[in-house]
Amino acid sequence: MTGAFFLGWRYLRYHRLKSLVLLASVSLMMFLPTATRLLVADSATALTARAQATPLLLGERGGELELVLNSLYFHAEQPPQLPYSALDDVEDSGLADGIPLYTRFRSRGAPIVGTSLDYFEFRNLQLADGRMMGLLGEAVVGANVASEQGIGPGNNLVSSPETVFDLAGVYPLKMRVVGVLARSGSPDDDAVFVDVRTAWVIQGLGHGHEDLAQGKSSGSVLSRAQGTITANAALKQFNEITAENIRDFHFHGDTSGFPLSAVIIVPPDDKSATLLRGRYQNHESGYQVLVPGEVLDGLLETVFTIQNYIILGLMMLSLATIAVVTLVFLLSQQLRRGEFMTLKRMGASRGFVATLIASEIGFVLLGSLVMTAILSWVTRHYATEFLLSLVAL
Amino acid sequence: MMKKLLFWSVLILLGACEEQVTDGSRLDDHVSKPLVLTSNYPLYYFASEIAGDVVNVQMPDIDGDPAMWVPGAADIPQLQAADLIVINGAGYESWLAFTSLDTDRLLDTTEDIQDLLLPIESATLHQHGPEGEHSHESIAFTTWLDPQIAIEQAGAIARGLSALVPAQAEAFETRLALLEKRLDELDGSFEQVFTNLKNQPLVFSHPIYQYLQKRYGLNARSLHWEPETEPGTRDWIDLGNLLREHPAKLMIWEATPLDTVREKLVHMGVRSVTFSPAGNQPDQGDYFMVMKDNLLQLSVGMGQKQ
Repeated sequence: MTGAFFLGWRYLRYHRLKSLVLLASVSLMMFLPTATRLLVADSATALTARAQATPLLLGERGGELELVLNSLYFHAEQPPQLPYSALDDVEDSGLADGIPLYTRFRSRGAPIVGTSLDYFEFRNLQLADGRMMGLLGEAVVGANVASEQGIGPGNNLVSSPETVFDLAGVYPLKMRVVGVLARSGSPDDDAVFVDVRTAWVIQGLGHGHEDLAQGKSSGSVLSRAQGTITANAALKQFNEITAENIRDFHFHGDTSGFPLSAVIIVPPDDKSATLLRGRYQNHESGYQVLVPGEVLDGLLETVFTIQNYIILGLMMLSLATIAVVTLVFLLSQQLRRGEFMTLKRMGASRGFVATLIASEIGFVLLGSLVMTAILSWVTRHYATEFLLSLVAL
Repeated sequence: MMKKLLFWSVLILLGACEEQVTDGSRLDDHVSKPLVLTSNYPLYYFASEIAGDVVNVQMPDIDGDPAMWVPGAADIPQLQAADLIVINGAGYESWLAFTSLDTDRLLDTTEDIQDLLLPIESATLHQHGPEGEHSHESIAFTTWLDPQIAIEQAGAIARGLSALVPAQAEAFETRLALLEKRLDELDGSFEQVFTNLKNQPLVFSHPIYQYLQKRYGLNARSLHWEPETEPGTRDWIDLGNLLREHPAKLMIWEATPLDTVREKLVHMGVRSVTFSPAGNQPDQGDYFMVMKDNLLQLSVGMGQKQ
């Protein structure tokens, strides 16, 4: 029997090209439906895990999916902004805590997430190095941002201007990195976190400049009349917040009207969550409260429907492949008639020849199984990342 | 061949068993005694008196006036580790606008007495860019100089501590009652001394005595003079003009002024008296000793011994 396996193995090795084509065809036939299922299942798990861990989201009325994807993954389009007072309203209700999110800006491609310290506790994010942001202008970066940009505590980050040609628009703010988060395997690894007020400074809602009441600023003063000082264009505004100038930073206007992308609502129990959702059900409030899990379930339902169509197509393709592979084997037997006759003349039994043919098929199938397992492992390993890159689009 | 297959199978199995390992420190810090930080000395004193040794009450090491303090990077870990941060409120802690803290751990001692707070009227308007005219208005923040407001603030601290250590609520209440009694006595002493000044014009070197002025009905005007700085010519002219319409014989300083300034004031018929607001930790004694010294200084300044 060992001789039959040996001859089978030698035959496949001798006809390498034919064997490889067979191996690849059978592997792909087995891998494609498996990979589709794995990809969808793993991605769905990754998507829903973060959504399930986020009880409620408050946002301005508009695209639900946009609000959820932006708040959970910091990508997709910016949802309509809501004022900071919406967060106060949630907290004043006494039914839940609120965590602000403002994700409008970026730094070298990484989203800058303006939030509060509660976010880190809520997501159970831990520090790998340094400390949490504590002062205006300080930033904590995710593990991937730190490794990709080669930065850590003590380094600086600069916010990206929104448009190159908008000279009157948002100016870059130099931020000091004070901490690096431990890897969490979530979109938090790819983000830069700042206090929401730092995000407002990036937007220009808060700024720092020389004290106009001081004599040293006389070069920047256009006029002083009846207790009113008017500055000219020479007024120096700071593009970095330092220990020396932090006192000169201030916000103009009522901060309760300043923008947020969303508010993560953290109710203590289901009853509070239900009561809160009820309050925002009428359209008068202008806001919407979403359960991220429910919104993503809708998205996944569509994904699963598409997946079923794809698998159906792949199954038909597999049937065709099986037919072709069978045909290849049958034709191969016809072509090898002389070889089998020689073996019989040399004293090989019919069983020996059958074992030889079976071993060749077995080796191809076994090789295909191994290939499928390897490819599936690779797919599984990168499935989440792949999905998130799709979300980023 | 079989060995290779076995190798790959083991590799795949190991991959399936892979777990995400995270390291780093937890954000939560655990300390044996709750850590309470205060933003100035009066609050530190009140909190220490009420807390006893149940709570670790601390005040950041501040050089100068705590109202002007801005935490440095080195102060942030302590601030973020505190279980409770007792603040004066009324705009005293301007540094709150620059810091990221867990707001649930902030205890604003004047939050419930907003109607007692006094706005500062003189705010400079300025204009730059498209935002138009604006100013940075504020509220008078040396609230504790009115002992009755100080009592309210002490009450807020006691409530905050009780929420932090509910088992000690009764002890906190007992100690609060003692502190309130002492503050009431201080109020009585102030009333007695300031009664003699009610109809006299006074000058404050700095606009920090608004609550004292309101509480005891003082007829006072404020300057912007610093005790350690020699006033300029313009300042002396302004004072002369002020004294013509407001003939004050007494000027109250937050710290001892320069001798030259003191003498020049004497020539103008104005005596200098130091009344420390006790914003920062005194070199010697405690809050009540500083206030007792203030009373003594006032009595001497008015020519009457306490």
